[in-house]
Amino acid sequence: MRMNRIKAEEDDILKPDTWVDRYGDYLFRFALARVKDPGVAEDLVQETFLAALRGLQNFKRRSSGHTWLTAILKHKIVDYFRKKHRELVIEDIETVSETTDGFFKNSGNWKIRPGKWDVNPAKIFEQKEFMNVLLKCLAQLPERLAQAFMLREMEGLSTEELCKSMQISATNSWVMLYRARTYLRRCLEITWFNKPTGETE
Amino acid sequence: MEHWMFNCKEVSHKVSESLDRKLPLLERMMIRMHLMMCRYCARFHRQLRWVRSMARYTQPFGNKSETSVTLPQDTRARLKQTLKSAME
Repeated sequence: MRMNRIKAEEDDILKPDTWVDRYGDYLFRFALARVKDPGVAEDLVQETFLAALRGLQNFKRRSSGHTWLTAILKHKIVDYFRKKHRELVIEDIETVSETTDGFFKNSGNWKIRPGKWDVNPAKIFEQKEFMNVLLKCLAQLPERLAQAFMLREMEGLSTEELCKSMQISATNSWVMLYRARTYLRRCLEITWFNKPTGETE
Repeated sequence: MEHWMFNCKEVSHKVSESLDRKLPLLERMMIRMHLMMCRYCARFHRQLRWVRSMARYTQPFGNKSETSVTLPQDTRARLKQTLKSAME
């Protein structure tokens, strides 16, 4: 029964003329919950479909059509935030590493110590809001760093797949992911957990 | 590493790396020791893992009422047309 359903969805994803009816509302709701503007959400759905059409031969059968299309949409949403809030975007990777190095003293001890996070994973409302905040924080990063984070942490690509997809070495991927994670951790701490100063001595 | 104790900055790098590959045994032990003694690095470690689980498994929608939101009919038609011409 379940196999049949998966099979049916696989067949659907290979027929782009069924996409609007099958995935349109879902993607629209997902986008609208993030960008709030229906016109923008519609545009993002269209861009997602067109990007999916171009990448259809790369579709991996291990993920569902929903998962695949939503992953593309998340990239589009981050691109949208990046363009909309240009003033917040860190342009180059070097500047990010200056920021993340600044979390430490020269001695290697913490300068801005990680604060205590009050986490309640059971709250579904929080989960939805969390995704909004995370995508906005991602939009502050240079495109390549945000992309590396999304492929690895959101879409769950292996290091090997990530390196292949981004044409980077494994060592390079660890450095990029470190910068992205460390920056995002701090961004979440400030905007989601409301601890602008970190924990002081 | 020449020294056998990691400082916090080094641990933060290693903790991140441990999310992507299995570290050598010695490094794993050094990190474990550091995390037992350092609450900030322990937090950092927990928080990176928490962010990963949230990023991967978060439900995209909070409340049910939003499922009533649908694409407007004219947009639906326009999208179909766009897709159709892109396929040709």
